Amino acid sequence: MAGIRIDSVTKSYGGLAVLKAFSLDIADGEFVVLVGPSGCGKSTMLKILAGLEEASSGTISIGDLDVTDLAPGDRDIAMVFQNYALYPHLTVAKNMGFGLKMRGTDAGEITRRVNEAAKILGIDHLLERRPRALSGGQRQRVALGRAIVREPQAFLMDEPLSNLDAKLRVHTRAEISALHKRLRVTTIYVTHDQTEAMTMADRIVIMKDGVIQQIASPDVMFREPANLFVAGFIGSPGMNFLKANAQAAGGGATAKLFGHDVTLPVANAAALAGKEIVVGLRPEHISAGPGQVSFAVSPRLIESLGSEQYVYVDLPEEHRREAGSGGDDESRRTSLIARLINPEPRPPEATLMLSFDPARLHVFDAASGEAIR
Amino acid sequence: MPRSAFFDLARPSRRHWLGYLLLAPAVLLIALIIVYPLFVSVDLSFQNVNIARLDQPRRPFTTANYERLFASEDFWNACWVTFKLVTIVSFFCFLLGLGTALLVNNRFKGQALARLLVALPWAIPEVIAVVIFAWLFDSSFGLMNWLFIRLGLVDQTINWFSSPDAAFAVVCTVMVWKGYPFVSIMMLAGLQSIPEDFYNAAKVDGARAWQRLIHITIPSLMPVIGVTLVLVMLWVFRDFSIIYVLTGGGPLKATQSLSIMTYEQAFGFFKMGYASAIGVITLIVCVIASRLMIARAPDNI
Amino acid sequence: MTRKTTRHALLYAGVVLTCAILVFPIYWLVVTALSEPSQLRQLPPSFWPSEPRWGVFGQIMAEKPILLWLGNSALAAIGAVSLSMIVSVLAGYSLSRFRVRGGQSLGLFILTAKMLPATLLVIPLFGIFRNLELIGSLWSIILAHATLIIPFTTWMLKGYFDTIPRELEQAAMVDGCSPLGAMVRVILPVSAPGLAATALYGFVLSWSDYAYARTFLTNAQGNWTANLGITTMKGEYISNWSDISAASILVALPILAIYLFLERYLVGGLTAGAEK
Repeated sequence: MAGIRIDSVTKSYGGLAVLKAFSLDIADGEFVVLVGPSGCGKSTMLKILAGLEEASSGTISIGDLDVTDLAPGDRDIAMVFQNYALYPHLTVAKNMGFGLKMRGTDAGEITRRVNEAAKILGIDHLLERRPRALSGGQRQRVALGRAIVREPQAFLMDEPLSNLDAKLRVHTRAEISALHKRLRVTTIYVTHDQTEAMTMADRIVIMKDGVIQQIASPDVMFREPANLFVAGFIGSPGMNFLKANAQAAGGGATAKLFGHDVTLPVANAAALAGKEIVVGLRPEHISAGPGQVSFAVSPRLIESLGSEQYVYVDLPEEHRREAGSGGDDESRRTSLIARLINPEPRPPEATLMLSFDPARLHVFDAASGEAIR
Repeated sequence: MPRSAFFDLARPSRRHWLGYLLLAPAVLLIALIIVYPLFVSVDLSFQNVNIARLDQPRRPFTTANYERLFASEDFWNACWVTFKLVTIVSFFCFLLGLGTALLVNNRFKGQALARLLVALPWAIPEVIAVVIFAWLFDSSFGLMNWLFIRLGLVDQTINWFSSPDAAFAVVCTVMVWKGYPFVSIMMLAGLQSIPEDFYNAAKVDGARAWQRLIHITIPSLMPVIGVTLVLVMLWVFRDFSIIYVLTGGGPLKATQSLSIMTYEQAFGFFKMGYASAIGVITLIVCVIASRLMIARAPDNI
Repeated sequence: MTRKTTRHALLYAGVVLTCAILVFPIYWLVVTALSEPSQLRQLPPSFWPSEPRWGVFGQIMAEKPILLWLGNSALAAIGAVSLSMIVSVLAGYSLSRFRVRGGQSLGLFILTAKMLPATLLVIPLFGIFRNLELIGSLWSIILAHATLIIPFTTWMLKGYFDTIPRELEQAAMVDGCSPLGAMVRVILPVSAPGLAATALYGFVLSWSDYAYARTFLTNAQGNWTANLGITTMKGEYISNWSDISAASILVALPILAIYLFLERYLVGGLTAGAEK
């Protein structure tokens, strides 16, 4: 077990830069999640960490050892693949013991470790089977077992839950977290699913187009996203974004939202004056009924899930951002979603009163997308 | 695992060396037995050589072989024969191959057996196929003559191997019999990759079997058809065994394809320089054909 | 439901008729082999000999060195396929996994090589083998057959390796194998069915050759391959058709056996249980 230091690692294929200046210090025993949309470079970084791809520049150290140009087998790491990559011609037991056998571990020790890991994962009754006779969830556990048995310095996991069905995914997610608590092995976990990132990570590294957007614990990332992309990526349904203009007013900054002049929760108010900004508001921070800032709406659609409701409202024209302004979902540009928990039953009416607390607003520079605090 | 640091091919920076290393034996062998002979062939075509002797000093460079070639009636006849063969045989191979594939693609008891039988001629060595058909078309006691007379198609026995047109027809028949299974297998594979839903949607839209064939099956098969067509044509183009054993190129050069002519000139008349020139022409045709194929369907090969 | 049953009946009839016509020549070969030569000179031809002479096979094997011919064909095929497979497996794997400079050109060249006529290469190979004094030896056709086989097997193997996920070698490397070790310990065992099918295809290619055998081995009777031997039994105008048919059946049997084996793989796929 050891800390990992990644220093200015880049990766380019010919002229195409896939990974730009990636630096990260991982503490011993930490669970770090690399998250981001497809093509953001997270899997590439993981493969470079594993030694399966060569870094174009930069260094990587595991413990005190510079592993930048070491073979994967010499780095003392174990990897869990998205497609499990179990050896089809070997039994489960042999699959799990393969790495130890390659290192010349004696047979008795291999059997001991394999049995122990199998017991932890609940697959000891499957040891003599071949991978093709196993279900998806079972194969996943064997892949995990293969990693555990090695007792490595770090685990690398490449979207291990993507191929499981929804229910199994939730269950296995909890199992991996429990396993981490028990074994305390440094883990780097790659996923495109923000829920996995939020629930499992000690720290999240969120990436886009090969660049790190923010490194923070899940709580901090949720409460203080560094830019528009992070704000929109974390949380489901994603944050609502409203275009607005900041004005200076009596020592603070305000913006006109839904016809009201709302005080913006920023420290350096004067610098904002006259700037075009994007205001962010999470759906769960919008309540029904009157409040600090209230506005009436005609909902376009109300989805009811029993304990909560999603209210879809058309954004007034002045609050709509330009088309193609970085969001992937065109419909989010033109609508606002409110998430009402335990809503009061009310007759279906044309208009609804919604409100929010201005302290819950996030402010972003419209041009750069950076958060303004 | 002690590994010398410099030659450690497992290291990320060295791993691509392994790619070259693995390719080396193949490159070496191909260079020795294919590339080098091709160069020798081109070289020979520019010399006045009767029997290729590589241990003797090279003869002087001359284009006489090519000049003779393009002026030769036999050469153009061979081109014409080859062209006829390629078009006729390919056409019938396709007809038969596609037809049998469509037939066998339905689900019925014994489908596996039918598939096996339909492709069986592929497994018979060409020389054996020639034996079978030479006997079937024997002018005195062959089954074909008896059948033709019985059916009233002709009133006297045809001497299949003495008549130029008849001999050509027999050659075509043998080649079609040997060639259609390949088309059948390729078409079957293509047919099986057409999603069921295409047909379901068409049936819901009211399309009849004939329409489904024309508007769904054939368009979906186009890439496979393209590749298969080129492969079959190239097979007919370069075939030697069938024609040589069946008719030897005769009668009166009616079945002498370019391939046969090359061989005849080289090992019949011992004019290897001249024969190499013909060979080079066929090489150019092959290269053009393969370029065309790659341009059309790079992944389907 | 009569429309469906008539359709079904028509289909069946069509299949039976088509198969019967297409397979008939093979049937006729068997009939001819089992008939007395005198019976063959009678019209109308009988569709099954009245007294099939099953002993013809033993007789023909005594008259002609059929087993020797088969043995030579087998030796040549085994030699050619072994040589080709070693080279092709390595090359196919490299082309599949590595982005090698010139790999694409090599691939293109191999593709072109697949289409070369034997009559093109036979002339220079004749010159070369003459120089090396290999004419008449089985080595000449082993090498010549390799020129036929390698282009096919390399391409087939590359395509086959492409279907095996790279994660398998990656897992093996993370487990401590060198890249070569990963190939040998993991990829080759997993590829066994594909390797076998490819090797068998190469075997068929070698067995079917006639051009090279005729050119290099005609004067070395002891080294005649099966195809060559059969053609010597066919006279210019007159042949003993029943004998040559019997010999042909014996010669065709090995390939027919391989075909029955391979047929499963020809249109089917191969599954790997390694991942989802």
